[in-house]
Amino acid sequence: MTARPAYLFLLPALFLYGAFVVLPILQVTAYSFFSWDNGIAQGFVGFANYARLGSDTVFWAALSHNAIWVVLTLAFPLMAGLLLAAILAERGPRTIQIMSAIYFLPRTIPLVVAGIIWGWIYNPLFGLLNYGLDMLGLGNLGGAWLAEESTALVSLNVVGAWTFFGFCVVIYLGAIQSIDPSLYEAAEVDGAPWWRKFRDITVPLLRNSTLFLGLYAAIEAMRFFDLVWVTTQGGPGYATEVLTTHVYKTFFLVGDFGYAAVLSVVLLVIVLSLSAIAFRLLRAK
Amino acid sequence: MTRFTKHSQTIILVIFALYALAPVYLVLLASMRSEADLFNGPLSLPWPINTSNYLRVWSDSGFSTFFWNSLKISVAVTVLVLLTAPLAGYAFAKMQFRGREALFALFLAGLVVPAPSVIVALYGNLQTLGLIDTHIGVILPQAALLMPFAVFMMRTVMQDVPDELIEAATMDGAGPLYGFLTVVVPLARPGLMSLTLIVFLFSWQEYLLPLVVLQTETLKTITVGAASLQGRYGVDYGGIAAAGLIAFAPLVVLFLTMQRSFVRGLSAGAVK
Amino acid sequence: MKRTLWGAPLALVLATQAVAQDTVVVTQWDQFAQSGITAAGPAMDELIATCKPALNGAEVLRTIAPSIGIRDSYRLAVSAGKTPDLAYTWPAASVLAGYARVGALAPLDDYYAKYGWDQVNAFYKGRNSYEGKVYGLPMEQDLMGVYFNKDLFKENGLAVPTTYAEFQAVVEALKADGIIPVAFGNRDRWPATNTFSLILGLTAGRALEEKVFFGDEPWTNPAFLQAAQTFQDWANSDTFPRGFNGVGYDEANALFLSGRAAMTITGTWVLQDMIRGAEFDLGVFMLPPLADGVAPGTMWGEGSQWQMSASASPEVRDAAAAYLNCLVSPESRQVWVQKGYTVPIGTTPAELAEWGANPVVQEFFTGGLATPDSNFYDLHTTLPESVTQVLYPELQRLVGGEVTPEAFLQSMQAAWETAGANGERWIP
Repeated sequence: MTARPAYLFLLPALFLYGAFVVLPILQVTAYSFFSWDNGIAQGFVGFANYARLGSDTVFWAALSHNAIWVVLTLAFPLMAGLLLAAILAERGPRTIQIMSAIYFLPRTIPLVVAGIIWGWIYNPLFGLLNYGLDMLGLGNLGGAWLAEESTALVSLNVVGAWTFFGFCVVIYLGAIQSIDPSLYEAAEVDGAPWWRKFRDITVPLLRNSTLFLGLYAAIEAMRFFDLVWVTTQGGPGYATEVLTTHVYKTFFLVGDFGYAAVLSVVLLVIVLSLSAIAFRLLRAK
Repeated sequence: MTRFTKHSQTIILVIFALYALAPVYLVLLASMRSEADLFNGPLSLPWPINTSNYLRVWSDSGFSTFFWNSLKISVAVTVLVLLTAPLAGYAFAKMQFRGREALFALFLAGLVVPAPSVIVALYGNLQTLGLIDTHIGVILPQAALLMPFAVFMMRTVMQDVPDELIEAATMDGAGPLYGFLTVVVPLARPGLMSLTLIVFLFSWQEYLLPLVVLQTETLKTITVGAASLQGRYGVDYGGIAAAGLIAFAPLVVLFLTMQRSFVRGLSAGAVK
Repeated sequence: MKRTLWGAPLALVLATQAVAQDTVVVTQWDQFAQSGITAAGPAMDELIATCKPALNGAEVLRTIAPSIGIRDSYRLAVSAGKTPDLAYTWPAASVLAGYARVGALAPLDDYYAKYGWDQVNAFYKGRNSYEGKVYGLPMEQDLMGVYFNKDLFKENGLAVPTTYAEFQAVVEALKADGIIPVAFGNRDRWPATNTFSLILGLTAGRALEEKVFFGDEPWTNPAFLQAAQTFQDWANSDTFPRGFNGVGYDEANALFLSGRAAMTITGTWVLQDMIRGAEFDLGVFMLPPLADGVAPGTMWGEGSQWQMSASASPEVRDAAAAYLNCLVSPESRQVWVQKGYTVPIGTTPAELAEWGANPVVQEFFTGGLATPDSNFYDLHTTLPESVTQVLYPELQRLVGGEVTPEAFLQSMQAAWETAGANGERWIP
């Protein structure tokens, strides 16, 4: 049997993917070596565009925000998902189904809409959060949340976590349900309290899921755009600037094609390296 | 487990349920305000409940147009992916050919490609093709960007189809496509269902591509429409809330009715 | 290398455009939607009908793009060499000059000579020129002023300030009465540029601004520093609502319209929304000079301008110019004023009165047009985009108290120098 049918089966998918993803990546890489004026290429400049990265403080700020986003995501939604899944796993099937549906619900909401909703909650003039703090007599804890450099990124991450923790619950639940129940039974015979079973059995056995979710979160942290764009557009100042918004502004708002291409290439190199690490680690298991 | 532990755990479950649901509830409230008075207590109950915000947004603000545009684009993307990804996934799962590993690696790399990083060149290409400000200009790149995930997922699904059944079909002298359609597709139906839902969800949620490709107001999608309402309608929060609900209600309904398929699709790759 | 080079193979596979046209078709991009900031759609529809004879048989093919997006769409169209024959877009000055520099625009000098168009004064003409040639025909005009709530002023015994000291006294009095003095929201990033442009012009004056824009005077000069300091001081002293960097432009306007803030400093582009939304007696005054020896004036700009593609054929250009001449004629200006909610360049206060414009509109334009020789620049429609995109975040940081006025101006100077080195500076 020849391989022809295989190629024919592959062709449609490969054509679409090649024309609208692979080709643009090659083009962007080529663009990054030219100088541009109003989107018209002027000449080959080698790595001159890349040399600008070093002194571009916004780029380094953006990169650090992406990194902080990864850490925050690992610290909050991932941990919350693990804890909730461990608790839920011991409840009845009906509870499991309803609660995981509730936790997962925000994931179905477009990030644009999520951004709008949370923008209201954080709004300094009429937002629910400040209003709630006022009601509790904690009005002096109120703030401008998304509008202050010190709180903007963390406040935004709470929104990201809102759409992500349910996904973690679902992934962890699936993994917990495949753990051999006799392990827990044995621990129970020894009189181990809940948290120790959690620490000694659940957490170690879920390492693969944690690894998967962690890498997934890291890649998503490099890719996200919608949420920032509809809420802060990278502001105030550069407090929530991330690589994708920096690319978008450099290309669409400034029209600096060469440097936007450089930023795109850097972004691609980072996500591709991350995914290479991810596959190596996940396959090694 | 002590009763105390159990109760405190229940409290944790409930707190996170509130975290998940409160913002949704808030939008629901806002969308039913008769007169959105944003400076007076965001929690005050809307009374009498009214649907005028929905009617206004739907007919006056062009949200019916945005809705149908989103539906059209999402359905087209879904159909396009369904016509291409299962074939490719099947080829990777069950067929032998030269360059299989390399081609699969090429698709795998695409799993993580961020749309903003290709937009710089993609935009120019679409302009050259005359596809800027058309729905096709959104549909094709979007299907392409979702392709790696779809192919990856389909390969996983197709690997579970028993080889004997495929062999039996080809023994009868049927061509590979016939065998694929009559034997593989029926067996892979749950996987295909998941793929359909996920692709539909992702393309409905997409913001960047329609934002940059579509210029004419009547061509825009619901996500772009919802975001632009913020500027255009200023402080008509009742209207914006209604618009937001229209933008995600179909997804929530789909999700609640087909939770299993959804979860299976989204976690594809996590377990394997 | 044109950037279409790599796309060429794709084009061969998929291109499906085959157009054969006998009549002259003028493709046009404009921002005149049926609703929103530039809700002049009905006026545009009427004027296209009116100006049809001027086209001499040519057809106009319109694409309506939102005013926020048209600026970016046009830039991308330039890069692809696909600009529409005629566009009503923004900004002018450096950005327009950039398009002229790469040869994307057709000069309009011959049409200015042929049709007169003297309503476009030297200031506006300069903003639409590059190296001695005119490339734009501005039509509307934007002015900055202070909207105020006359009822609140009356209740608190306040009079319209005529000096900066009086303005400061009004602000203090309002604060003492628990009223937000100035509604201001800068989440959308651009509103602060207008406010700062106004403060800057009234502190440094137009002559010094021009020394910075066209000469070697640095941004870090003492008058600019004073302006930046003033803006930061306002922000620090509760002149604006709490969390203003997280408040949307529309929300700030709503705050003013709700009667919780006594003033808001913004432009003529929201006149209609203000007039429609105010349930109190609405007034407008011009902010007095903030420094000694600076002439009264206000920020003004064209808002948007008509520009023509260099790739349009001579027939198309001639037809388009005749059509533009009809659009800016006195008869058309009257239609714009009465149905388009805009006040085109060249419209006098007397005409506004005669055509029955709203009293607040008359008040605003009478005040702003009284000082044509000292009116000054709007930064984000004057600077190159690369500088504007530094100005937006840096202003958020300045008013947010995250940077000192000195550091703010140093960032501006650095961006300005880079833009200059890249040839992005505008030479009228």
